[in-house]
Amino acid sequence: MPDLIKTCLSINGIERTFHIPPGMRLLDLLREKAGLTGTKEGCGAGECGACTVLVDHKPIPSCLCLAASCEGQEITTIEGLQTGSELAPIQEAMASSGGVQCGFCTPGIVMTAEAIAREGLQAEAHQRLAGNLCRCTGYTKIFEAMDMLPALEAQDD
Amino acid sequence: MTEQKAPIGGRHVRIDALSKLSGECRYVADISLPGMLHAAVAIAPQAPGRLLSLDSSRAGKMPGVRAVITASDLPAANLVGVIFPDQPLLVEERIRMVGDRLALIAAEDAEMAWEAARVVDFEIEEEEGVYDCVRALEAGSPTLHGDSNLLKTFHVLRGEVEAEKDSAAVTIEAEYHIGGQDHAYLETQGCLAVPEGDRITIIASCQCPFYIQQAVSRVLGIPLASVRVEQAATGGAFGGKEDYPSEPAACAAVLAWKTRRPVRLIYPREFDLQVSTKRHAMVIRHHWGADAGGRLRFAEVDCILDGGAYAGLSTVVAERANVSAIGPYDVPAVKVETRIALTNNLFGGAYRGFGQPQVSVAAEATMDRLARKLGMDPLEFRRINALDDERNTTCTGQALPQPVMALPCLDQATEMAEASPAPRKAPESWLRGRGIGLSIYGINLHRGGQFLDRSSAVLILQPDASLIVRIGLTEMGQGVLTSIQTVAAQAMGLPVERVQVWQPDTTTVADSGPTVASRGTHSAGRAVLDAVRRLRERLDPIAAELLGCDAGEIRLEAGFALDSTGAKRIEIAEVVREMSGRRIESIATGWYRSEDRVFDEATGQGEPYSSYAVACHVADVAVDPELGLVRVERVCAAHDIGKVIHRTGAEGQVQGGIVQAMGWVLTEDLKLEKGRLINPSFTDYLIPTADDAPAFEIALLEDAPGRGPFGAKGLGEPSFIPAGAAIRNAVSQALGVEIDRTPLLPPTIVEAMGEEHPLAELIRSIRG
Repeated sequence: MPDLIKTCLSINGIERTFHIPPGMRLLDLLREKAGLTGTKEGCGAGECGACTVLVDHKPIPSCLCLAASCEGQEITTIEGLQTGSELAPIQEAMASSGGVQCGFCTPGIVMTAEAIAREGLQAEAHQRLAGNLCRCTGYTKIFEAMDMLPALEAQDD
Repeated sequence: MTEQKAPIGGRHVRIDALSKLSGECRYVADISLPGMLHAAVAIAPQAPGRLLSLDSSRAGKMPGVRAVITASDLPAANLVGVIFPDQPLLVEERIRMVGDRLALIAAEDAEMAWEAARVVDFEIEEEEGVYDCVRALEAGSPTLHGDSNLLKTFHVLRGEVEAEKDSAAVTIEAEYHIGGQDHAYLETQGCLAVPEGDRITIIASCQCPFYIQQAVSRVLGIPLASVRVEQAATGGAFGGKEDYPSEPAACAAVLAWKTRRPVRLIYPREFDLQVSTKRHAMVIRHHWGADAGGRLRFAEVDCILDGGAYAGLSTVVAERANVSAIGPYDVPAVKVETRIALTNNLFGGAYRGFGQPQVSVAAEATMDRLARKLGMDPLEFRRINALDDERNTTCTGQALPQPVMALPCLDQATEMAEASPAPRKAPESWLRGRGIGLSIYGINLHRGGQFLDRSSAVLILQPDASLIVRIGLTEMGQGVLTSIQTVAAQAMGLPVERVQVWQPDTTTVADSGPTVASRGTHSAGRAVLDAVRRLRERLDPIAAELLGCDAGEIRLEAGFALDSTGAKRIEIAEVVREMSGRRIESIATGWYRSEDRVFDEATGQGEPYSSYAVACHVADVAVDPELGLVRVERVCAAHDIGKVIHRTGAEGQVQGGIVQAMGWVLTEDLKLEKGRLINPSFTDYLIPTADDAPAFEIALLEDAPGRGPFGAKGLGEPSFIPAGAAIRNAVSQALGVEIDRTPLLPPTIVEAMGEEHPLAELIRSIRG
């Protein structure tokens, strides 16, 4: 049994400390240690994007990221987007556009879309979402959700 | 309570959107129980062969391993398979397919289990295999089961083909090689088995909990009533979770039975791609002819499906391919022969369209070829030959009810394409082409499967006038929970948010068959309407009593019960309070069964389906003539949908179906070497990304009501079927050459261009 590594990181705004094997993936830390099963594993090889979370505001496939390397970083998962039962604008937009079907890619899509929106890169949404595979929707209603965002955010201000 | 717009045809937020968007929705891999073990499977890496020795002792000693099961340890039948149980759960001697299971392992964590699976020791004596479906049917080929690889033959025989050949001015002979496809659902196969004394609960990602119930009952040797199967949230299926989930469920069940602990089995992606069922690859030979006026005279089709190593669902897939082989056209003489060949490839299963997309690519390609040979426009040629209100008899001799929607769909889709230019997504220098795909889809199960075509529903009216709906059909992303919520809300006059529809559990509803054949809304909806009828036999008299009118007058609308004039009304909630106060039974069951139909298997004549849905897709593509790259820029889609139940969901089905078909005909290449998939990853097996999505124009035509609730038809498969044909025809038109092989990979396109390729001379010189 290899020595465990003490890792301190912030998950959805809460400082957490874990003692984990050096080879543990961030995905497994989130799902198994932190109980945050909203982040999905679709391929385990960084190909499908279902496990996308934000690490210091950047979208990262958490299956390719060693948890111990996230020392001191801020992790945001799908569970961290909403406030209480109030959905974030991107979640609301996806609900009303119909961008959700089977839902398995949805958390990853939402996290990537959130990062695109935060950086104001909506114009590049088609290319920037290309790392998040969806087999159900044909993507169009996901684009529609992204297009709704400016209006929704203006409402919230 | 304020008056509400009727929910049918609306755009309300789908019932499961919030749980899926918040991350709260639990798929199987998200459910853990105390003491739970994790399963893994050791498989044969080559096929065919004979298992000479199997030694699991090393695997059994690996850290964390709690059980290893081989064929001799099974508690009851060593058999899986839905139609013909011809497949062992665990290999005893013969290995027919890569992926045949050698041993099952349960360990404390998943990594330990899969690690142990890798050290199961075995020796396989290699045998000569057959990996080509045409060769498999030739004399002298090695056989998989019994003495022939021919699993079954189907026919459609109509009119006198030989006589009609004389009246044809032009004929086309072609041979199409249509590729298979992996479902590539984002959630891999998975299930959780929980033993409870002499019974067991299975929580599974699946399209048919009832199939799993039967499989687990068989492998454990316990009654069906002792097996409870709950459908978990299912992350995509597309046919891949129709019959196949019985196999992982049987694996988890026997491990749970042995260890007496909950056992969860989640397939890693590479494993899932390697062992799961696939869309059938087909070889389709055509000999079709038309007269000088452009009327089709005869169509001969010889179709061979690569069934792979086990029967699986090949017979029912072939059944649909067989009667769909000539498309929605009026042809006086038709001769179709459809054969299933067993090979040592991965076995074919259900996949969106059930064999029809493959035969549609061939039929629509031949239609274009004939048009070109006649010097006619492909649209005009289709208009001359499409079934219409006068010529409404299909190739099986079935008269379609009016209005026949082939021409309206064809006209609507082509008008949308003409109305505006497609957006230019590819470089200007690429060549542009437009292609048409027209199809007619028989809703629900083929007559051969009609014994499965029934469905169960349960309604439980709550004291606050909200409604619980249980159905036997599964939600896998397509939106059946939302469409049934809409149907139930409309029929009970309740706002949609007062109606909750829950996914099936074999202890709450009767066997409703698989959620396939675009039958979800139809079958579950009809069962729900039947349950509403029974519930209203108790509700309406109370409402009438409170309103002072006859029970026969009562209408339920927008939260109110009204008399025939609408002058008297009362909130439904008040009626329900009264029912509740009087202790009136507030639960009702409902049942749907399909109408019996007549069909002669020998001639393929009769009524294979009770109703039909037409769809037309017009694809605009751009092709790089040097590299053979294809970009689909726009698809215009017209669908004969009967009735729109949920508009956003219907559009999503169309868009998703088209993009999935686009992947199938363009990039999704199942590379098999001696039956083993050599590209089992999303880096090497390419499904469409966001950047590949085309623009869409969609028309949902409601002129021809179907037999589903409120006149609905089915949409899941019609949304996929014509797209592949439209894209193939568009690429051929752009390049001016015929392409008879899919997927349309760059080398396939360059090869098909031959001397037309801009660098033909250079290619020739390189090849010497």
